Amino acid sequence: MREETTDGRIAPTMGRRCFLQSVAWMSGAIATGVSSWSVQPDWANAAAAPIKVGIATDLTGAIAYVGNACANVAKMVVKDINNAGGILGRPIELFVTDTASTESVAVANVRRLVQRDKVDVVLGGITSSMRNAIKDVIVTRGKTLYIYPEQYEGKECTPYLFCTGPTPAQQCDQIIPWLIKNGGKRFALPSANYVWPHVVNKYARELIEKNEGEVIFEEYYPLDQVEYSATVNNIMTNNVQVVFNTIIAPGLGPFFKQLYQAGFGKRGGRLACVFYDENALNLNAPHEIEGLASCLDYYRAVTARDPASARIQALYDEQFPGKVLLAGAATGMYRGLKLWELAVREAGNLDREHVAAALDHAKISEGPGGPAEMVPGKRHCKMNMYTAVAKNGHFEIVARSEGLVDPREC
Amino acid sequence: MESALNATFEVLSFGAIIVLVVLGLGIIASMMGIFNFAHGEFVLLGAYTTYLVYSFGLPVWLGMLVAPLVVAAIGFVVERLVIRRFYAAPVAAMLGTYALGLVIREGVRSLIGGLYISVPEPIAGSLTIAGVPLSRWRLAIVIITAVVMVATYLVLTRTSFGLRVRAALENPSLARVSGISTNAIYAVTFTFGAALAGLAGALVVPVFSLFADLGIRFLILGFLAIMLGGIGTFEGSVAGAAVVGVLSAALPWAVAPVLADILVFVIAIVFIKFRPGGLVAGRRV
Repeated sequence: MREETTDGRIAPTMGRRCFLQSVAWMSGAIATGVSSWSVQPDWANAAAAPIKVGIATDLTGAIAYVGNACANVAKMVVKDINNAGGILGRPIELFVTDTASTESVAVANVRRLVQRDKVDVVLGGITSSMRNAIKDVIVTRGKTLYIYPEQYEGKECTPYLFCTGPTPAQQCDQIIPWLIKNGGKRFALPSANYVWPHVVNKYARELIEKNEGEVIFEEYYPLDQVEYSATVNNIMTNNVQVVFNTIIAPGLGPFFKQLYQAGFGKRGGRLACVFYDENALNLNAPHEIEGLASCLDYYRAVTARDPASARIQALYDEQFPGKVLLAGAATGMYRGLKLWELAVREAGNLDREHVAAALDHAKISEGPGGPAEMVPGKRHCKMNMYTAVAKNGHFEIVARSEGLVDPREC
Repeated sequence: MESALNATFEVLSFGAIIVLVVLGLGIIASMMGIFNFAHGEFVLLGAYTTYLVYSFGLPVWLGMLVAPLVVAAIGFVVERLVIRRFYAAPVAAMLGTYALGLVIREGVRSLIGGLYISVPEPIAGSLTIAGVPLSRWRLAIVIITAVVMVATYLVLTRTSFGLRVRAALENPSLARVSGISTNAIYAVTFTFGAALAGLAGALVVPVFSLFADLGIRFLILGFLAIMLGGIGTFEGSVAGAAVVGVLSAALPWAVAPVLADILVFVIAIVFIKFRPGGLVAGRRV
């Protein structure tokens, strides 16, 4: 709309109608959500209404690369299920929402997923603080099933909340004895100051001492600290043999680099970091983390021996050939969706009670890393665990668990 | 002895990094009265440019040479399009530059796919002095920072351009009456500040790796440094940066790291309480 001003110029102004139009347009955009989208099944003649699966993960923000890997895996699995005829004769519609690495944003977006889109299950959340922020919205107020797919510190025993990632018992029980044998007995535990490192360290310390090792120091740093000279000096002067690291990015890369430059690797020191997966290998130059040990439920190297893992890896690489890789942080998503699929088939409907009861003892024979099964009554997942060592920018498996490892939770 | 030498070097090198980052921020804040909240993102752009050049298979040092030029060009465009509208309204400038920073940060985040990417040093390895391994690249940063600092000081105090910059800062109206185009001076100053940020980003990216939030931590430390040093002076910003950099690197050697992070701010706030003008109040270059 344009109006003529007193000096004869044509000036743009905003009239009442124009204003109302803009407000209507904007509120529409906000209400329908700009940060969420859905993938509809491409069944032309789907007679039955689709089953709705909600994915709430960090598509933007500091840990977006993990979130995008999770979203990719969800798309891949749902496509697979739909191609095979869906579940109970119904296709699956995927609703993906961004939790933006920010709890306040996440709660609003997840509430919309549960209340407006009325999804039948929610999978997602990466950090424990995110899980704690959104679980009430999903499970208590939303009366919906929630599957948390990440490795975490354990102790999550909320009803209707199922965890499909590794717990401290699954990771530490495997890697600590290996580290004592292949690194030494003098441990340092440098850590980021939040809940996961505190709980993991408590568990790890007990194991180290039980295996006749010794913790030289356990120290916590602000999450965004990038300068670690004092810590590195402490490690070098105290003759630490194993650095069991729980510092996270952005400090992780600079810390390992400083350790390397101080000559920690050269004098035979062993780095260990239980969340280090293939996506994290970008953080440092290969020579800086040569020999780093990690313990997760999946590495690409597993595909050499496990045909099912190889098939899933090939499918992922074909559908998502970018830089965001299928790695340890996204395998819980695969497991969670597949276990839930079986549970729905067994229950024969989508009632939360029935599906939860079936999910409580669900088992899959194939997945990234091998088979997996829920431990009845525990809402946590048994899985194979692998200890791997970084060699020239790739992980090589150096130890495998004997069968499925118990999460020992709840 | 070894430990003391090591500590001194590490503290010095982190201090140098902070000085390098704050230099550009300080010049813009002191000379133009604009608190550039996008400064951290200019640092990020410098780092990203270096990575981009490196990812094309070209040497890292070339990226480091190109980065200040690219960021200077971006800074110039930003000054002409956005910043110049805010000279009369410093508070609006803070919000405007914050928004600009957000756009750059999220833009870079989507360009690098939210990943953390390591960039190698042009001079790798360590130098062993008295049995202590010192990173060659950190040593290079200390030297480059010293050179840039001295050069900037000389430009501001010994050249006619520096004189005009200071004139435009002291009394803009009188400078304009004397035939100095303050408009042009501001554009050049902002561009120069951006170039310094670009250089800082390029030099620190091998140390801290490339990620979208690279600039944020430095921005907060940077503003603390300027507050501590005193607004309106070149020496103030540098001295403030040195103090903040040295404090934040040295304190973790003495107290628990989580406490050290808070202590830096507590010490700075207490200091400002007793000396509100900052370290070098009342003296100008």
